[in-house]
Amino acid sequence: MSADVRDILDMERANTPEITRDSFLATKKRNFERPKPNSRRPEGMHREVFALLYTDKKDAPPLLPTDTALGIGAGYKQAKARLGMKKVRKWEWAPFSNPARNDSAVFHHWKRVSDESTDYPFAKFNKQLEIPSYTMTEYNAHLRNNMQNWSKVQTDHLFDLARRFDLRFIVMADRWNRQQHGTKTVEELKERYYEAVSLLAKARNQTNERKSFTYDAEHERRRKEQLEKLFKRTTQQVEEEQMLINEMKKIEARKKERERKTQDLQKLISQADQQNEHASNTPSTRKYEKKLHKKKVHHQPRPSKVDSVVNAIEIGSSGIKFADLRGSGVSLRSQKMKLPANIGQRKVKALEQAIQEFKVDPAPPPTEDICTSFNDLRSDMVLLCELRTALSTCIYEMESLKHQYEAACPGKTLNIPPSLVPIKTETLDTSTAGN
Amino acid sequence: MAEFGTDSGGRLKGVTIVKPIVYGNIARSFGKKREEDGHTHQWKVYLKPYFNEDMSIYVKKVHFKLHESYANPNRIVVKPPYEITETGWGEFEVVIKIYFNDQSERPVTCYHILKLFQSPVVDGELTSSTTMDTKKGLVSESYEEIVFQEPTQVMQHYLQLSEQSANGVSSHDTDFEEKKIKTLDNIVNVKQKVKGEIVSLKDKLKLARETISKFKVELAKVQKPPA
Repeated sequence: MSADVRDILDMERANTPEITRDSFLATKKRNFERPKPNSRRPEGMHREVFALLYTDKKDAPPLLPTDTALGIGAGYKQAKARLGMKKVRKWEWAPFSNPARNDSAVFHHWKRVSDESTDYPFAKFNKQLEIPSYTMTEYNAHLRNNMQNWSKVQTDHLFDLARRFDLRFIVMADRWNRQQHGTKTVEELKERYYEAVSLLAKARNQTNERKSFTYDAEHERRRKEQLEKLFKRTTQQVEEEQMLINEMKKIEARKKERERKTQDLQKLISQADQQNEHASNTPSTRKYEKKLHKKKVHHQPRPSKVDSVVNAIEIGSSGIKFADLRGSGVSLRSQKMKLPANIGQRKVKALEQAIQEFKVDPAPPPTEDICTSFNDLRSDMVLLCELRTALSTCIYEMESLKHQYEAACPGKTLNIPPSLVPIKTETLDTSTAGN
Repeated sequence: MAEFGTDSGGRLKGVTIVKPIVYGNIARSFGKKREEDGHTHQWKVYLKPYFNEDMSIYVKKVHFKLHESYANPNRIVVKPPYEITETGWGEFEVVIKIYFNDQSERPVTCYHILKLFQSPVVDGELTSSTTMDTKKGLVSESYEEIVFQEPTQVMQHYLQLSEQSANGVSSHDTDFEEKKIKTLDNIVNVKQKVKGEIVSLKDKLKLARETISKFKVELAKVQKPPA
């Protein structure tokens, strides 16, 4: 459909496949049960003629032989066609008058002699509208409501036009006598007309007899104005709009992504809170957490990326929560060591690397003790991996700050503490190992 | 004996029975490719109790599912020894499903990768569970524990009977006792290391964050004046 419109407007057309006979038949085939093609040769038809019809794989021929025209089945038996077996019916050139016309003009047309003389059949299409009329007193009583815009003469002219052009307002606006009555738009004409009609109906208590229409001229004006604007956009404006729409889509996608992330974090935090109830008993972590909390408050006005990472780690969102195989029934102990399904691919990867790095058997013999400590170990390893990432993020931020400083203030520099300088995130720092 | 109500499904509350088992395979190479079918190894996949006991008291049957290229790959063994001997040329995953004498206990499934070839040793000891035995050939086996949590009364009865038939640890090709101790030691060691690194990383992170805030203050100072 839209392709047709584009064709008409001579615009670039989307690549729609041409309809071929085969594809058309293929789509149609599903829709209805096609009667089995009658592959029998009608009696009397020459074999050669029939072969022309039925060459392509018994498909239905484009033309079906018909033998019903004159005597059933006799179509191909008779050597000669039998024509002119019936009498012809006569036609005559007859006058007629159109009742829709009131000038009693007489025209002529061909008609069958046998046909009854009836009214001109197309007369019924001449619908007459009932345009109400008003008297001078009615006008003075009810229609003098809009004196500065509509005088009696103008209203008369309007109703006259309405009668002449059967409420075709576009034509009426065109035929409007501008010299005498000034310019009026289509909306103004419609507004006045429907207003007058409904006022008259009300005055005559006819409200129920005929439906009265209200015409919201203001709305129409705005609508047309908008259409006008839409139509008059330049190519650049259209492109800009498209660009803006795309931008908006992107922004919304990003927003969604952010919301999803904060939700995830929220979930982790609430999980961690439960963990913390047992975990934060050691005084050192608690003290550290308090300190961190203070710092967080201090930092509030300028939250950085690092803060969020560190917070996530400190709150204890890291680590793995292994499934608790309680309940009755038989199970294999090694099931206890299975990683839960909810931890991400990234964590699994990091964990695998850490297990390799520390040379731990990835599938140890599953006694109860080994299961427990192996799970604890892996939970710690995940935390370790996250700390490493956080530290490298911090160092990166530190360096970028340093570069900013050096750029803003040439010749001077900021000193990164020596323990942080060689980025040792990937190798184990043996000096501090073993507590 | 623990009580059991009708709504507990006849299960014994608070009772847990553990049955350690060993499963795996041994394989021996022919030394050459067999002419008629291209097979290169004879192997035996097996499931046996860790302690020397009669598993058939509580195990109904063991279902070994071999690779589909074998004739009738679903082999069922109803009494010990639970093992299948075959020849072949390739490694694949054998599914071992253990059914119990009490039907209300669901079967458990182990997965064993049939080993025919010694895998290259990566960084030594603990990553590989295969050992080469000159007499027997290649051995690849795993230790596992079947945990019966709150077993039914019938099941507990079977398990106890089996326990009574036990007669010390049967000999295995892999010294699992040693392996358990070594593994646990290693895990504890590594845990110490990881904990140590976590502490040091936390300190570094703290320092880094303090440095960042210091840098920010410095940067703010030098960026302000020109206004």
